Amino acid sequence: MKRFFGIKRKSLLLSISIVIIYYWALKGTGTNPIALAKGVPYMIDFVSRMFPPDFTNFNLFFMKAMETLQMAIVGSTLGALIALPLSFLAARNVTPNKTIYHFVRSIFDIFRGINEIVWGLIFVAMVGLGPFPGVLALTAHVTGALGRYFSEAIETVNPDVIKAIVSTGASKTQVIIKGIIPEVKPLFLNYSLYYFENNFRAATVLGLVGAGGIGMELITSMRLFRNQEVLTILIIMIVMVMLIDRFSAYIRKKVIKDISLDGGTYWN
Amino acid sequence: MGRDKKVIDNINLHIKKGENVAIIGLSGSGKSTLLNCINRLVEPTSGEIFIDGKNINNETEKVRGDIGMIFQNFNLVNRETVWSNVMNGRLKNISTVRTILNRFSRKDKKIVAENIKLVGLEKFAYNRVTDLSGGQKQRVAIARALSQNPKILLADEPVSNLDPKLMNEILDLLKDICDKKRLTVVASLHFLEFVKKYSTRVIGIKEGKIIYDGDPNELTERDIVDIYGETKDWCTFGKIGF
Repeated sequence: MKRFFGIKRKSLLLSISIVIIYYWALKGTGTNPIALAKGVPYMIDFVSRMFPPDFTNFNLFFMKAMETLQMAIVGSTLGALIALPLSFLAARNVTPNKTIYHFVRSIFDIFRGINEIVWGLIFVAMVGLGPFPGVLALTAHVTGALGRYFSEAIETVNPDVIKAIVSTGASKTQVIIKGIIPEVKPLFLNYSLYYFENNFRAATVLGLVGAGGIGMELITSMRLFRNQEVLTILIIMIVMVMLIDRFSAYIRKKVIKDISLDGGTYWN
Repeated sequence: MGRDKKVIDNINLHIKKGENVAIIGLSGSGKSTLLNCINRLVEPTSGEIFIDGKNINNETEKVRGDIGMIFQNFNLVNRETVWSNVMNGRLKNISTVRTILNRFSRKDKKIVAENIKLVGLEKFAYNRVTDLSGGQKQRVAIARALSQNPKILLADEPVSNLDPKLMNEILDLLKDICDKKRLTVVASLHFLEFVKKYSTRVIGIKEGKIIYDGDPNELTERDIVDIYGETKDWCTFGKIGF
């Protein structure tokens, strides 16, 4: 192995490549710590103008935050419900054939590949302003994302477990219900809750393109330089994100621990 | 079965009702494939299988329902309880809708409860199977197979993952239950001590072909060498009991 200044040639080439890539990326984006340092006084000025928060329109902002929550709930649920059955078609170990597998996977990739904001713009153009296009945007993205993750979770199920259920004479549907779903339930739940949390944050941004929720109020207050209202909106958003995180953690703990105690004391 | 290589080849077997058949042979000799062909988990490329004189080639699910199977790795649904796992043995008897709703009949529940009691796990019925020991897990698998009310019980190296004490315990339990229920048992086993103790007939397989079929007590050291070859394998397993 050739060495330059005691360093292996392969390592040296790799190091130079990494330096070139980062230089290219930093140069292209104009990333400059000096500019950031120069901006600190403006940042302090901007933040100081936010205080004290203005709660005059608190009720309106709270109602809009609730609308954002509603969008996240409906969007996540619809997305998960659509993704659930489709994910079995996109899992190698369950799909009826390869054509269906590739077709459903491609659908998931398209739906997941388009960002919620882009979906928001598309649906606002389709059905007008308000929370409904936001719900559709979240549903579309979540269907693609959860479909992909659900199908990958299904593929991780131990084939021996499937084999054992098949060996009892169970039908394919019964194998899915009794062999696969119990094994992937915690993963499905985790992914769904993660996307619910994510959707609340995404729903706030969707307001920026006119797809309803608290994001619309945020962008309006920012444009009108009502910085104290901006702070109120941010406080509401942060508190809600924290509450949703706690709620998700509680559900995760509860459901993962839970075991169905079916049957009865038939041996007495 | 690979396209190029035959894992089992030209096997003709007639197993009588109530027989306890042990299949022995080196790893990769075709023991598991033979067992899996019986309940069609592996589809044979050619040949026919008859149960009670009936050709079962086109009745896959029904046939599987009548044949219980126990596996080396227990193959249980880990996140479910003992009860739910054993209940899976009743799936052939209920509709898909009932499966979705988790609605089992009183009769199904009674059968499951009886089998859990039979394997001595009534105190653990609502425990998750991950909380159980290896021996207890295999008991759950036995109860699941028995809940099918099978005519035949297949066991693919049922004690290979257990310690020697548990091996005896599980095989004693299995023999006791099968004798009582007059079940036909076909099991692949590695330890010749167990073959002699628990089976009424032994089939030796080498490279997918039957090279011994007879009484386990008449197995000679020469037969063992023929089945396992002049390797350390048979010295490890084969000499036990000789």
